[in-house]
Amino acid sequence: MKWEALLWWILLLPLGAAAWITLGTLRQPRRSAALSVGAALGSFVLSVIFWKLNGWTSGSVSVSWWQVGPWAVTFDLQVDPLSLLMLLVVTGVGSVIHVYSIGYMRGDPGFSRYFACLSLFMFSMLGIVLAGNFLQMFVFWELVGVSSYLLIGHWFERPSAAEAARKAFITNRIGDLGFLSGLLLIWGLTGTLDFNRLEEQWPARMADLGALATLAGLLVFCGVVGKSAQFPLHVWLPDAMEGPTPVSALIHAATMVAAGVYLLCRVFFLFTPEALTVVAWTGGWTALMAALIAIQQDDIKRVLAYSTLSQLGYMVLGVGLGAPAAGMFHLVTHAFFKALLFLGAGSVIVALHHEQHIWRMGGLWRRMPVTFWTFLVGTLALSGAWPLSGFFSKDALLAVAWERNLPLFLLAVGVAALTSFYMFRLVWVAFGGSARQDGAGHAAEPGQEMLWPLRILAALSIGAGVIGIQAMLQATLPGLEGAQASAGWARLVEPFHHAPVPAAAGLIAMLAGLVLAWRMYGQAGEDPVAQHWPRLARWLRQRMYWDELYNGTVGAFHEACAALAAGVERWIIQGFCHGLLKGGTAVLGETVRLVQSGSLQTYGWVFVAGLGVLLWWVLGP
Amino acid sequence: MTMLGGLVGLPLLGAVAMLLVPRDAARASRRLALAVLGLTALFAGMVFVHYPQAAIEDHGYRMVTRVPGLGAPALGIECRFGVDGLNVGLLLMGALVAWAAAACARDVHERSKEFYFLLLLMTGGILGAFASLDLFFFYFFHELALVPTFIMIGVWGRGEDRSTAAYQMTLYLSAGALLVLIGLVGVYLQVPAQLRTFDIPTLTQYFRENPLPADAQAWLYPLLLFGFGILVSLWPFHAWAPTGYASAPAATAMLHAGVLKKFGLYGLMRVAQPWMPQGAQDWMPMLAGLALGNLLYGGWVAMREQNLGRLLGYASVAHMGFVFLGLAAWNAIGVTGAVVVMVAHGFLAAVSFALVGHLYGQAGTLSMDRWSGLGRVMPFWGAIFTMAALAGCGLPGFVNFVGEVTVLFGLWQVPELRWVTVGALFGALVVGAVYMLRAVRQVVHGAPSQTATRGVDLLGWQQRWPYALLVAILLFLGWFPQVLVSRVEPAVAGLIPRELTAVVTLRVE
Repeated sequence: MKWEALLWWILLLPLGAAAWITLGTLRQPRRSAALSVGAALGSFVLSVIFWKLNGWTSGSVSVSWWQVGPWAVTFDLQVDPLSLLMLLVVTGVGSVIHVYSIGYMRGDPGFSRYFACLSLFMFSMLGIVLAGNFLQMFVFWELVGVSSYLLIGHWFERPSAAEAARKAFITNRIGDLGFLSGLLLIWGLTGTLDFNRLEEQWPARMADLGALATLAGLLVFCGVVGKSAQFPLHVWLPDAMEGPTPVSALIHAATMVAAGVYLLCRVFFLFTPEALTVVAWTGGWTALMAALIAIQQDDIKRVLAYSTLSQLGYMVLGVGLGAPAAGMFHLVTHAFFKALLFLGAGSVIVALHHEQHIWRMGGLWRRMPVTFWTFLVGTLALSGAWPLSGFFSKDALLAVAWERNLPLFLLAVGVAALTSFYMFRLVWVAFGGSARQDGAGHAAEPGQEMLWPLRILAALSIGAGVIGIQAMLQATLPGLEGAQASAGWARLVEPFHHAPVPAAAGLIAMLAGLVLAWRMYGQAGEDPVAQHWPRLARWLRQRMYWDELYNGTVGAFHEACAALAAGVERWIIQGFCHGLLKGGTAVLGETVRLVQSGSLQTYGWVFVAGLGVLLWWVLGP
Repeated sequence: MTMLGGLVGLPLLGAVAMLLVPRDAARASRRLALAVLGLTALFAGMVFVHYPQAAIEDHGYRMVTRVPGLGAPALGIECRFGVDGLNVGLLLMGALVAWAAAACARDVHERSKEFYFLLLLMTGGILGAFASLDLFFFYFFHELALVPTFIMIGVWGRGEDRSTAAYQMTLYLSAGALLVLIGLVGVYLQVPAQLRTFDIPTLTQYFRENPLPADAQAWLYPLLLFGFGILVSLWPFHAWAPTGYASAPAATAMLHAGVLKKFGLYGLMRVAQPWMPQGAQDWMPMLAGLALGNLLYGGWVAMREQNLGRLLGYASVAHMGFVFLGLAAWNAIGVTGAVVVMVAHGFLAAVSFALVGHLYGQAGTLSMDRWSGLGRVMPFWGAIFTMAALAGCGLPGFVNFVGEVTVLFGLWQVPELRWVTVGALFGALVVGAVYMLRAVRQVVHGAPSQTATRGVDLLGWQQRWPYALLVAILLFLGWFPQVLVSRVEPAVAGLIPRELTAVVTLRVE
């Protein structure tokens, strides 16, 4: 590799910005923004330079971190096509969102703090991307968790935001409990946590490890379930929408939540077929469940949040079907169009003075044309309309499912229909028709620093399917073997050649969803689902009651443990032990009091006797 | 080397000098204490930096310093100081925390001369206990530090029930110290009369070559385990800690929770475990179980606690679980991790109790439901508190994580303790996060309450530097742990049997 030092700069620039803002420029919002945006852009430019210099290269830089005897923890910067791709996506989308944030957060009292946390997040995320061993991955895994905690809780005076931040962190910690156990298990079995060394050793040992290998894979997957908000730990992500919208775009849609999928791809060799089956069904079920819940959400960001859950489910499903390349492909295109959708939602929210309820919008397409058209591009890409990027990545997933698992294929096609249904519901209700409230009637486009990010991301959402990401992934990871490497315009129609059934099924599903959404919501004044099927609507609006279930079971159990411990502490430890101690002392005191008679004669005798014993002991036999 | 002698001697000489300060010179006593402790911290820093270059003199100890005239050669008592990997970090931590503690004692106005006198005495005792190579002085210096603790809580403590707290703490800690004394005397008597000495290195060497008989270990080890354990709030003998720390003045809580409490752990590591490996082996499952009690039980009680001082007290009890677990593992990785946790927790406890002290100074209450939204009202305080809470739940980036994860890796090496490791993981990752973030949620987050609006943030560098210093050290060591680990690790390797220093790979049947 040429210019390895660039990697350190890419990683450390955002950290430097975060530290500088925290220590120096908290009261100078302009300078803070400049530092943070500069660092993000700097990392992006350096990543591009590194990539131009080296191409899709592999290699790593490694320094010792801490070491106890033969147990050495290293700090690695590992580069391979997978991490390079992720590096470009994270810094690229990150830079765009940093720029957008300047407009979105203008005038916020915590402006500098926001950018410091955003830079801290960039640093942590780049750490995940470049990590070369499990422990380092875990370190940065936790650090993105804490940046997410700080950013969700940016408006910490609002109780809902403060609660959401706490919930996100703790739910992630539950996933990390599995992750760290898995890490210990793997280390105990192989004596190493280095990805490259594990990749050499593990496949050969998988057979004799048997169930342990499956267990190790599933424990690592627990971390993914937490971070990528898969069922059953999905509950934190919708609440995380309490954070500022650019944060939702960057962290809770494009990058951090995708880190779980990235980890799955990075350590794909770890998973046994049994483990992969669990992974696939977890992803599939999450995709379906989230898509169902999304069709009855009325908060513009919550619809997108459930959509993110559902798409992450798709990616996990892809990996579970043994096609990490397909999952990764979808991760990249999803990063573009979901960031676009969130930023579009953000500009609507700003225009409506922080109104997020879609039934109080309407008619926005006329008043906010740039936002509307880019949002529509995002919606089409997400729904998988040909020839936008989402079509190609979703088709890759469907093709794999078609080949390997028919039930999951049917499920995935159903989710595709639901996706286009809930997204076009959102578009018709929020942007279509005429304004339902005054605010929506006076909405206006935000400033250019918020519009250009939309345009850039829209261009990427359109084109990312055919700019060669697929071919690059094909050469890197398993899972896209079917697709033919073709050039130019042939790429556009290639899916219809190599796997016509899934391609057609995806398109039909998408159109079905679109038409149904138009029929139901095209002119609707209120939600027809809630009118006709009130119980179903309530069930979906209450998110299938998962939160209530968890509060009633896991939460209650943990609280009961705490209550029990507190009771024992109060009545037994504080009561009984103190009593014993005090009683014991009292008895001792009484005994001693006998000696302390106050009689000088007795004292004299004791003194002499003591002296005698001491002398005997010192000079002794 | 006189650096080490200076390190212990300075605070004690400062204490003597304090007696000469006239009572009406209000600020002189504070200035004197700060200057003396600043100089002590500088000495400790020099010892820490010079440590790798210093020659190894006696059984792996460096910079061995003999204090002439102190001791009773006829009894084999001789005041000698020395450092090795186990105590070099603790001495640095102790000196820095003492300096920060003096700086955070700003609100002591009554009888400040006596307060600083006791603070200097306590610091001298602590540093002496950690530096001593002689069993007698090891114990003596600990007692020297302990007595001022009781007095400070009783006189300068906060709240109605401070005398109860002081009483309770005295009872527990004296009981612990008494058990230790009996145990140490018992061990001493096991040595043949002509070889009797109080010199720790010599005794360690002797017990390695002539292991104690198993039946002697069987009754001596538990004495030391529970004696030292009570001093560190080993579950279920921890009840003194939360009450004591909630009632103690900030500086005392910082010094005791941060540094003095580590004496028990240091004693286990230095004396009990190496001298009685068989006893340690037999009691290992019990110790691991009790440590898990610290972690889980302490954490659960903290979840329900409404008083911030007591909550942090229980958190401190929980953190001690990691050190006990490292000791239970008794292999190179585990013990190294335990020492790192001891140092890390010292800084963390200091910053936590300093924060609590400032909060109490604002409105005379630590009840969490009275405070809210301090992130807005007191941004610096809120930021430091959030960082302390995150460090407390083992967030990477802070050195606490390095220590804890190293302990867990060490523990995983012991096949019998696998399930304990899983329990410890749960305590570390989930329970810790629950109670720490609950505290942040209630105190820092939310809309400012009536009480909160009266709060005044820490202002200016004079008030902020101790906090900044302590957090900066936590972060620095968190990213460059090798600075500490490289000093600790060789000493640990010398302490435990060779076969336990290797990485063991699980065998699959």
